[in-house]
Amino acid sequence: MSAALALFSRELKLAWAGGGGPAGPAAFNLAALALAPLAIGPDGDTLAAAGPGVIAFAALLATLQPAERLFGEDAADGTLELYALSGAGLATAVLMKTLAFTLAVFWPIAPIAFIAALAYGLEAGPALILSLALLLAAPGLALIAAFAGALAAGLKRAGLLIALIAAPLQVPLLVFAAGAGRAAAEGTGLEGANLMMAAAGSLAALALAPLGAAAALRARLE
Amino acid sequence: MFSYFANPERFERLARVVTPWAWGGAAVLFAIGLPWALVISPPDYQQSETVRIMYVHVPSAWLAMAAYAGLGVSSFIYFIWRHNLADLAARALAPAGAVFAALCLVTGALWGRPMWGAWWVWDARLTSMLVLLLLYLGYMALRAAIEDEKLAARAGSILAMAGLINLPIIKFSVDWWNTLHQPASVIRFDGPTIHASKLWPLSVMALAFTALLTALVFSTMRTLILERRAAVLERKREQRLEAEASEGFAE
Repeated sequence: MSAALALFSRELKLAWAGGGGPAGPAAFNLAALALAPLAIGPDGDTLAAAGPGVIAFAALLATLQPAERLFGEDAADGTLELYALSGAGLATAVLMKTLAFTLAVFWPIAPIAFIAALAYGLEAGPALILSLALLLAAPGLALIAAFAGALAAGLKRAGLLIALIAAPLQVPLLVFAAGAGRAAAEGTGLEGANLMMAAAGSLAALALAPLGAAAALRARLE
Repeated sequence: MFSYFANPERFERLARVVTPWAWGGAAVLFAIGLPWALVISPPDYQQSETVRIMYVHVPSAWLAMAAYAGLGVSSFIYFIWRHNLADLAARALAPAGAVFAALCLVTGALWGRPMWGAWWVWDARLTSMLVLLLLYLGYMALRAAIEDEKLAARAGSILAMAGLINLPIIKFSVDWWNTLHQPASVIRFDGPTIHASKLWPLSVMALAFTALLTALVFSTMRTLILERRAAVLERKREQRLEAEASEGFAE
């Protein structure tokens, strides 16, 4: 366990400080959210109706954005080999790395979602629900993106490939996260069920994605 | 059983019998099914002539899903036992399944325009099929991007298995999200609700599509085996030429 904790704290420090930390995905998230109303039009009702979906979609894009460097750099500089030999196991290493990365880099997703939801004309209550839903869904989104990143690690134009691989697998989380915000905004009373499903999706990804990513990385090391 | 057919010689013997029969069966079944479904069978009392699209649409949907199940199972076999033939089967199934998924979407759009008044509606079943097509495309793109053949096979098998696990969840989430498409009317516990005059041509068309998929998969697998064998022979020839050349220098 101490090896896993050491891995976690190392990756946390690296993700926090290296490569701009949370700035890149957060800026990407904000840019997407700033551009969407320009495309949709300034009509308040339309924006409020589209808000939860657009915000959840922007969060999904933000989790895809840094997935290329998650394992790409480790595969290039030999860190992966060391992790495989570390005794903690590759799956544990993947889990610790992805969780540390989620914590350090993707934390702005929830506050950005809250502010954006207000800017899109949602009430504070639904905005909070949407923000909570993305807080629950973000680890799952990040884990699936990490799985795709592990499959595409070290390939040319890996970014595009990661988006194509991860997007269909992220569909359930997108549906439930956006669904929670929509249900809260429309007052259908289904936000609780959607929140639970989003959390379930994240937990399922937590159980499966590290194993899949570790298998993909091991294939690369052989 | 998997190990039995993992032997390429034995597979070749099987494939030599199955391939022509599958092609022949597909030809005969299409020769019966296409005129029956597209000309002879009665028009629907609600959908009139457009119901004929269903005879292509529904089998494509079935086969697209069956091919993904096959892709997932052969990927599993490859991942656990490393049988090369399982990987070849996966490689052969992916493009065929993708084409069936695309065919299902296109025919669905053609049918939707007169019936629903829209080329595309964001309905649960249509969207699941679209996601299935994306899964196929992702699988093929990943394999195409990796040059090392062994690594491409390993990575592809992991992705296909992940897709197979995820598919029911995606299906559930999309059903949750919206439902407009008519519910399944052939495979039900209380028997099909579709009329026999349509069920028969539909069954023949489904068999024809299945025979076509079988023929495509077996032909592609044989081609891939021959390709690999040709590459080995080519490499041997190059080695021999190099050896002769270096001998020539030595003299």
